[in-house]
This record gives sequence, structure tokens and C-alpha cells, in this order.
Amino acid sequence: MNQWEVFVMDVAELAEGQDIELTIRTLNPGLHKYTYKRVRAQVSSDLKKFPDQLQVRLGRGQMSKSRFSIKVLGDVQRMPAKYL
Amino acid sequence: MAAPRSNREFVEACIKSGDAVRIRQEVDWDNEAGAIVRRACELEAPAPFMEKIKDYPGFSYFGAPLSTYRRMAISLGMDPASSLPEIGREYLKRTNSEPIQPVLVDRKDAPCKENILRGADVDLCKLPVPLVHDGDGGRYVGTWHAVVTKHPVRGDVNWGMYRQMMWDSRTMSGAVFPFSDLGKALNEYYLPRGESCPFATAIGLSPLAAMAACAPSPIPEPELVGMLSGEPARLVKCETNDLEVPADAEIIIEGEICPDYKVEEGPFGEYTGYRTSPRDFRVTFRVNCITYRNNATMTISNMGVPQDEGQLLRSFSLGLELEKLLKSQGIPITGVYMHPRSTHHMMIVGVKPTYSGIASQIAQLAFGSKLGPWFHMVVVVDDKTDIYNWNEVYHALCTRCHPANGIHIYRNAPGTPLYPFATPHERKYSIGSKVLFDCLWPLDWDPVNDVPTTVSFKSVYSQEIQDRVTSNWTAYGYPPVK
Ligand SMILES: Cc1cc2nc3c(=O)[nH]c(=O)nc-3n(C[C@H](O)[C@H](O)[C@H](O)COP(=O)(O)O)c2cc1C
Repeated sequence: MNQWEVFVMDVAELAEGQDIELTIRTLNPGLHKYTYKRVRAQVSSDLKKFPDQLQVRLGRGQMSKSRFSIKVLGDVQRMPAKYL
Repeated sequence: MAAPRSNREFVEACIKSGDAVRIRQEVDWDNEAGAIVRRACELEAPAPFMEKIKDYPGFSYFGAPLSTYRRMAISLGMDPASSLPEIGREYLKRTNSEPIQPVLVDRKDAPCKENILRGADVDLCKLPVPLVHDGDGGRYVGTWHAVVTKHPVRGDVNWGMYRQMMWDSRTMSGAVFPFSDLGKALNEYYLPRGESCPFATAIGLSPLAAMAACAPSPIPEPELVGMLSGEPARLVKCETNDLEVPADAEIIIEGEICPDYKVEEGPFGEYTGYRTSPRDFRVTFRVNCITYRNNATMTISNMGVPQDEGQLLRSFSLGLELEKLLKSQGIPITGVYMHPRSTHHMMIVGVKPTYSGIASQIAQLAFGSKLGPWFHMVVVVDDKTDIYNWNEVYHALCTRCHPANGIHIYRNAPGTPLYPFATPHERKYSIGSKVLFDCLWPLDWDPVNDVPTTVSFKSVYSQEIQDRVTSNWTAYGYPPVK
């Protein structure tokens, strides 16, 4: 199970039951903790529905009480290839 | 005492004078180190030198490098007990002296080249990048550092302290404001042409190099370091671009600023004492190479409520640079002071009120200068008010500033997204507004019959009565006055 975190202005941005694009950061312990990636994912407020957990922070870093489970469907690469 | 030439010499000097403590037990990079630095700032305690960092053997941290005037004095090679006006005079003397050009040293003489990561080895997570405050948008690589760039046409070099967040192993994002030197170069040149801008981030600088990187001085920073320290700054060529970086820095991160790609940055604990600026897509730095010293020390500034170096040092240099500007215009000022607790928002200017409108002239110069976006209040007091004595300034502000005639508001000025009082719209578009508090008696008042006379022990009694009372003070039954 992976732990992820997302920053949103409004929890409503985390629409359930559809594919959404999110910038999430890993909370897994280790050297890469807090690094980001852009993904396509599905989220659910049913914490058992998907394999990974998603914690939510609001605009100024406040922890939201809302918790989600998340399924990462794939990475989204926005960076132009010349920088890779 | 000579000015410390590197962060290492500075740490040693601070430990020797009791202005830094060596922390030998292991400290976690994930919040714990940040919390130590924050507490040290709020208690105005010695700077923490953390020798052992969880997950990062061989690296250390030095936090709150310049968050006290004592450490500022040490950085200038002065007696740590020097007073603020003494430190200020020294800064003005040195920054008005002849420029001292930097020297270029060979790679083999540059400690920052002791370890080099290139290609697939490049990974910012190999550095002990701290999570400075819980809830920050990321781990911040650059909190006390210099981002080195060069103007593509004019060729002048810029070192600026612009915060940098680690987004992934090879990407950082940062808040480079459009009115800063780098912001201007990006907006005027690189972005319209779609060209990437080479950069190098230098971390673990000598304290005077760090001071230069965040000083709002027009002097190119490598020369300014020379003037401040009295000897040429030692620079060395980068591995992957043409930039030159301080040879004695602890860590160098080389790369390019992407003109066509942005990632999110923030939120972050800021010098105002809040997290104010919204998370946004900001200037994005792609990393191509990392070099670092053996046993490298990462420097950390933890900004928040007073007092940290963001407030202390910036108040100091903004105030003194404004002093230079006002003097260059021939305005008869007695001095300029920013109290660090104003989080560098209030300029206090003392002036001999020799003509009408002088306060307004001062405010317009201050707000209209390159320094202007960083503060929004100017308080002008007369030459008899001690600008360093808050009690006197506060008294003048509350008694001499006419609520209808003495407060002047300037709208639509340059601002930053960091102003806590600004509306969300103003923050998003960096729209500022400014205010002048004119605490001078108007010159069209009769000085004898209209201007109130100050009622104080020193002003209303004859010297003879004052001497009698002070010499009899203990005889009256009071304890001696220190
Ligand atoms: C700890 C610290 C952090 C700073 N962070 C930023 C920043 O993120 N963005 C910015 O534009 N200025 C920042 N500043 C202010 C600049 O360092 C300062 O304006 C400096 O003069 C560089 O600007 P210039 O390029 O206009 O000379 C910071 C200053 C300090 C002391």
C-alpha cells in the first residue's frame, strides 16, 4: 500500500467515480518522500475501495479531515521531452 | 577579527563565541530540523549546527545563520556585541568603498567540486533537503542560498535568494518575483524567446555571500561580497554551463530554467509569519548536475513569526539601501530604520524638516524605488526622534500624524503575493498599496505658538533642576538608574 498526498483548494476537486488528473506526492518513508508526480487516478471516500491511501491538504497546507483511497492509473508526463 | 570566508569558518566562529550550538544527536530532516531552527529563531537562541541527519550520513545542517545582530556582526568580522547603528555604519562604509572584483580559481582548488553527480546519478533526494514546516508544499532546497544567473545581453551576473522547492528528483520550482533581477531577465528575454536560462544554485555560502544574494543593492553581488569582506570572492566555473559560482560553497546545483514548462510551488512558511501566497505554477528549474563538498553542510532559514534572517537581514539591508538612495538625492535625513518585527514592512525615516512635502518626497522615492515592492508603510519623523527607539517613534506616530492630513495612500503599486492583508485578488496579481504616515509638524504652523512643545524631563526643566533631581535620585529613596 502506498501513501499519497494532494493539495487542493476545495475537496470537491476530488471527484469520485471518474478518471481525474492530479499532482500527488509520495508519503512513503525514504529518501524520495514528498516528491511529486502527475497522474491519472480514481479516488473514493471508501477507504477500502482502492489499494492506496490519499491524504488531502488545503490551500495553505492545512490537513483536511477528508481521506480517500486512490488507484493510480498511470503517469502523465507534461514536461517537454527535451528536458527528460 | 576577519570576516569568515566560508560557511565552515562562520560556523566555527559562532560556536566559539557561543552564538551556535553543536547538536550531536541524530535529527530528522522531516520536520524535526525545521522545528529546531524555528524555535531557535523565536527564542533568539544560538544557531543550531546539526551534525547528524537521519538518512543522510556525512551531511549536516546549519540553521538560522543570521537571525541575530550578534551573528550579523560576526559575519562582518566585527565584535559580536556591536550595536545595530555600528553594524549599519560599517555596512554603509564597506558598500560605499571601491568595488573588489572576484577571482576565478581552478577546479582543483574549489572544495565545492569534491563530489560530482551527473547524468543518471543526478538526484536532489541524495541531498538532505529538509521539510522545513509541516504542511509546506514540498521540501525546500533553497532557503538560504544564491541562484546564480547571467543577463544574456548585458552579461551582468545576478545572485538572488529566491526560494526553491524540490518537485521531483530533478525538478525544482520557485517564487521569482517579476520585479526581481532574475524575474526581469526571464520576462524580458528568455520567456518571449522560448530559450532556457542557465542557472546554478549555491547553498552553504559564506555569510557575506548570502547577505549579498538577498541585499537589494545595485552592485553586482560577486563584487559586493568582495566589498563586504575586504577581499575578492573566489569563484569557479560550473560543470555544465558558463556560470561561475562561489568555490567554497557547500553544494552547487546546476541546470536550466524552463521557459515553456511550469510545476506547482508552495505553500510555504513566509517571512511575514504566515503562509500567505497561494500554491501556483511557478518558475521551474531542471537540474543537470550537482556538486558538493565532502561532509557538506546545508544551510536552512526557517521563515515564520519574528525573528528570522528573512526579517532581520532584509530589514537591515532594505533600510540602509534606502538611506543611501535618500542621501544620494540630498535629502537631509538622520537615518532609516526598519524594525525586524515589522517583518520588513515599515520604513522609519528621520529627517530635518526643512521644506514642505519632504515626507511625501521620501515616501515617493521609497515606494518608487527597486526596494518599494517589499514594504508598504513609511513613517517619517523629525530629526529629534530617535528612529531606533520604538517608544519615541510610536509616540510620534500616535500624536503627530494627522488622521486626515498626515496619512497618504498610494494605490496600484507593485506588490507581492506574500502580503497577508492583501485581498486574494491582489495576491494573485501582485497588486500592492502603500501608506505614508507623515509625523512632521507642518511648516506652515507658527513654530512658537502652534507647534506643541514636548513635555518631558529633559525638555521642560532647566539643566540646574535636572542635575539637582538626578544627583538626589537615590537620596529621594529610588534605586539607582542603570
Ligand atoms: C530567506 C529569504 C528568502 C527569499 N525568498 C525570495 C523569493 O522566493 N523570491 C524573491 O523574489 N525574493 C526572495 N527573497 C528576497 C530576495 O532575496 C531579494 O529581493 C534580493 O535582493 C534578490 O533580488 P534582486 O534579484 O531583485 O536583487 C528572499 C530573501 C530571503 C532573505
